[in-house]
Amino acid sequence: MAGRGKLIAVIGDEDTCTGFLLGGVGELNKNRKPNFLVVEKDTSITEIEETFKSFLARDDIGIILINQFIAEMIRHAIDAHMQSIPAVLEIPSKEHPYDASKDSILRRAKGMFSADDFR
Amino acid sequence: MYSNRKHPKFANEYIVHWMLANLTQGMGVQINEASQRIDECLLRFMDQLELLEEKRERLNSLIEQGWFSISKARYSMGNKQVSTLQYGNEIEPQVQINVRLLENGEAEFDAQRVECLRSQHLEKDLGRVEDIGPKDEGVRRRGVTKEENPKDQPAAPRACVSRETSPPNQGMSQHQDPLKWFGILVPQSLKQAQASFKKVVELSAEVATLQCTVVATRKELQALMGNKQEETPSTEADKQKDTGNVRQSEEESASDS
Repeated sequence: MAGRGKLIAVIGDEDTCTGFLLGGVGELNKNRKPNFLVVEKDTSITEIEETFKSFLARDDIGIILINQFIAEMIRHAIDAHMQSIPAVLEIPSKEHPYDASKDSILRRAKGMFSADDFR
Repeated sequence: MYSNRKHPKFANEYIVHWMLANLTQGMGVQINEASQRIDECLLRFMDQLELLEEKRERLNSLIEQGWFSISKARYSMGNKQVSTLQYGNEIEPQVQINVRLLENGEAEFDAQRVECLRSQHLEKDLGRVEDIGPKDEGVRRRGVTKEENPKDQPAAPRACVSRETSPPNQGMSQHQDPLKWFGILVPQSLKQAQASFKKVVELSAEVATLQCTVVATRKELQALMGNKQEETPSTEADKQKDTGNVRQSEEESASDS
């Protein structure tokens, strides 16, 4: 199965990760490396960023789901990722509702409509 | 900005601006081919954005439902009964994403449950069982060698048995339901949470595909606009030339008279 299909990785708070693992997304590979990161109060930004970059580097991951408030912490890393695979999806969290104006993809789309385009 | 109500208005506003800009640029006479292509691309882009917005809303509401069900389960089971501590020691994925790269750089994501794949594999395996028949010849040959090497006799059948039994066992351990991490008799709300997150996983693949499409269309649009901007200075120069020629002819006609 690992040879053909790709995985969905999750970076999120406890409830988000629990929910997606219930949905059957989780994996612990042979090196006991998970495809998810539960972000708690004491999780450092560098740890989040390193995990995100390690997910980007893994070729068995197709989609990365990340809570938007966590994405805000590592916005520069998300904006720097321009490839289509893995796709990065920002999802809401319990305390922070989804804000489309913060989403990297929609910001890029919105950025198109500058005054220069209509001259 | 991208709320469901405002979005179409947002789209229309820009399309009107765009059309006006094109009309004024072409002096209201002709909308050239490049402009038409840009307009079509822009409309497609807006449609895709709208669809993405709809799917996003569905995704977000499903996630919210899931959290609500988890909270209900936590309320009935106890505060620490639904947490990271209950995650299994061995976690195997039950969903896989099939990714297809298209020619224009877009990627298509498709979520597939492993149970579906398993049933496909089982069908294939059933086919294989029928194929085993002719292989009996090989076993018979082994029987001949048994007489030659009597010490190897017990080892060979054991190996066969272990080979036969191991794949189903692996299958059982691989596809353990994550719901069982939280107990055998879990509340209904936890099952509901699982159901809604399963839907979220499927929907997230669709959203990922749409995001890729939006980005690709945006690139296409930018490329078209770039091409048009390259073309426009030449047309302006042509117009200047034309006006220059007209002036010259006017001057000549004035001098003749």
